[in-house]
Formats: sequence, structure tokens, C-alpha cells
Amino acid sequence: MSSYGGYQRTGYGAQGGEDGGGFMSGSQQPQNSQSNEKGSFRDESLRPVTIKQIIDCKEAYPGADLAIDGHLSKQVTIVGQVRSVTAQSIAVIYRIDDGTGIIEARKYFTNGQSAEDVPTYAPNTYVRIFGRLQTYNNKRHLGVVAMRAIDDFNEVSYHLLEATYVHLFLVKGGSLTGAGAGAQHDGNAAMDAGGGDGMFVDNGYGAAGDPQAAANARLGSVSRNARAVYKYLATLHGESAHLSVVKRNTGLSENDILAGAGELLENGMIYTTEDDETWAVLDM
Amino acid sequence: MEAIACPRVTSVYLNNYVGKNVTIVGKVLELRGEEALIDADGNVTAHLDREAHLMVNNGVQIIGKVQPDLSIKVLNSIDLGTNVDYSLANKVVEISHQHPSLFHYD
Repeated sequence: MSSYGGYQRTGYGAQGGEDGGGFMSGSQQPQNSQSNEKGSFRDESLRPVTIKQIIDCKEAYPGADLAIDGHLSKQVTIVGQVRSVTAQSIAVIYRIDDGTGIIEARKYFTNGQSAEDVPTYAPNTYVRIFGRLQTYNNKRHLGVVAMRAIDDFNEVSYHLLEATYVHLFLVKGGSLTGAGAGAQHDGNAAMDAGGGDGMFVDNGYGAAGDPQAAANARLGSVSRNARAVYKYLATLHGESAHLSVVKRNTGLSENDILAGAGELLENGMIYTTEDDETWAVLDM
Repeated sequence: MEAIACPRVTSVYLNNYVGKNVTIVGKVLELRGEEALIDADGNVTAHLDREAHLMVNNGVQIIGKVQPDLSIKVLNSIDLGTNVDYSLANKVVEISHQHPSLFHYD
């Protein structure tokens, strides 16, 4: 199929013909003891993104690979409408618009292909593109590995939600509500969902019972320090504890505890008692 | 780069986007010549362009400018067929407003 011809050019061949390129950010994490490991293969995860994320993302240093949410992202998949198709001597250039921004996607010709060998799409057709992020002359574009038209509009909705989910997973360290619910049924799922930084993996407080499950789901949205503070306060069964007590029992700095408590207060998970630095868990 | 974003909205968000371009996904309820009534979590009136080919009861995505009377002057429209999960599309709108860093330029 001509649209897959790009594999040779885009570096897959050079990496020993791995047939990878699937969505690996979830399945790989549990195996990596260091979550910041810079393994080159790990960066090959195929990540769903919005075009705005590509436009906004920063290079760690000039010439470095592009990172989205601080995670190197070489391969991405986007869904958008074709706004224009321009054939050039070495590539066909598609302008893709997903409502969050516009980016150029370039399908380079391989092995004597010409513009006739590359699929064109009617303007405004929704397409899904698998590609590699590239920067040329300070302009960011996507090197197309494969693309296809979208028949079912729900895939557009799905893609935007998936891009959001992956963003939140990477930024907040997993254990979102969905993952938390799954964890109640399947311990392995909890390990997968928790990743390197997830609460289910490292504090054993997780799947104890249903009231905790609800709290855990809400804890998914707060920082690690806030979780530690909450975890300690929850052991007091409704009694309150002062900052100094929390500090002694969690080993966190006062600033970390205050920031964490602030988050928990904002979420209505704890409340202040005698003074502003004494808290108790709000029973739900 | 270009800041030509067309935020995804439903009828309830229109007030905040007067004079701006938006993307709306909804179901065509009525066609009256160059006007269409679209259900996107509430009714929206769309002033169609010449190229619009809408069908009653089909889904549609319109991109257009919000007028002061909260109708839409359509710049671009595509027919989405009948197999559209509108509650999912509305959910996407909701989520996109909760996470502007992924979706919106403001």
C-alpha cells in the first residue's frame, strides 16, 4: 500500500526492523524502574495529541527532540480536517486543521513515487495521521508515516478525549478516576495504571474498601505530597493533627505539607479545626 | 504559529464567543432555505453558505462566526451522516473547556 511507503525513510528500518510503533506509554511504564529513563525505544511511544499541543511544545535545547508535557514525543497521531493539498517535487503537503490549530503534514515520496501515487483527500475530509514530529527552518511539521480518511465521526471525538486522557495521565501521574475504578477489580490493572508514580503502587492504602476507593479516585487529581498528607490524616479516624505532627509522621517539609493541605482543602477532602494549620479528614 | 483555533462549543457556550469562530457538532432539525436549525445541546440557528449540503436528521459539523443574536454565519460545514454520538460530542466540548491548554488559544 503506497501510504505505508514512508516507513523506510522515517527511521524504522534503521532500528532493526522493529514492528513497534504501537501505543506503548501505558504498557511500558511498569517495567521501567526509573520513570525518567531516557531509553530511545521508550520515546517511540505513539502518542495521540491535538495540533495545539504540537504547536506549543518546546525543544529542551535547540536541535533536541520535541517534548510534550515534558515527555519526549517523536511519534504522534493526530485527527483533523484536510484544508489544502499541495504537491511539490519531493512531497505532498497537507494542511491539517483540528479546531485547535493548523499544522503541515508532509508525505515524502519514496522509491520514485510521484504525486499521483500519494492519496489526496477532498478538502474538509477528516483524516487520521500517524507521523513523526519534525522541525525544518524553525517550522514544525509532521512527517507522515501513514494516513487514512475517517469514516466514523465518533473517532474524532474519541481522539480528542484520548489526547486529553494521555495528557492527564502523564501530567498527573496516572490513577485517574477510570483507572481507579478498574483497580478495584484487577490488581494488575492498578499496577499498570499507577505507573512509576501512582498511588496504588507505593502506598498500600489503595484497594482496602469502597469508601477509600472513592477517596482514592479523588486523590488522583492532587499532588504526591497532598496524597501523603491525606494518607496520614486518614489514619487518625477523624481526629485532627497539627502541622508539626503531620511533619513528624510524614517526613515532609512544612512548605510541602502546607501546599498539599491547600490542595486537599480546595478539593474539600480535609477541613481546618483549631487553627489554620490543624486539619482533619472530611468524612464523606 | 497561526492562532486560528475554532473552539468546539455547544449552544450553551455561544454567549462567550460572539464575533469569534467556533466549531459546532449537532443534529440538523430543520432546513429553511439558507437557514438551518441545529440541535447542539440546545437549538442553534445557522446561516448557511452556498456550498452547504445538509440533510435533516443527519449530524453536521459547522465552523462559523457567532453573530450578536447567537446565530452562526457558516464558513464551512460537513455532513456527518447518521451515526453520530451527540452526547459524546457534547462531552468533548465540556472536556475541551476544562483543559484549555490542549484546545484553546485565548
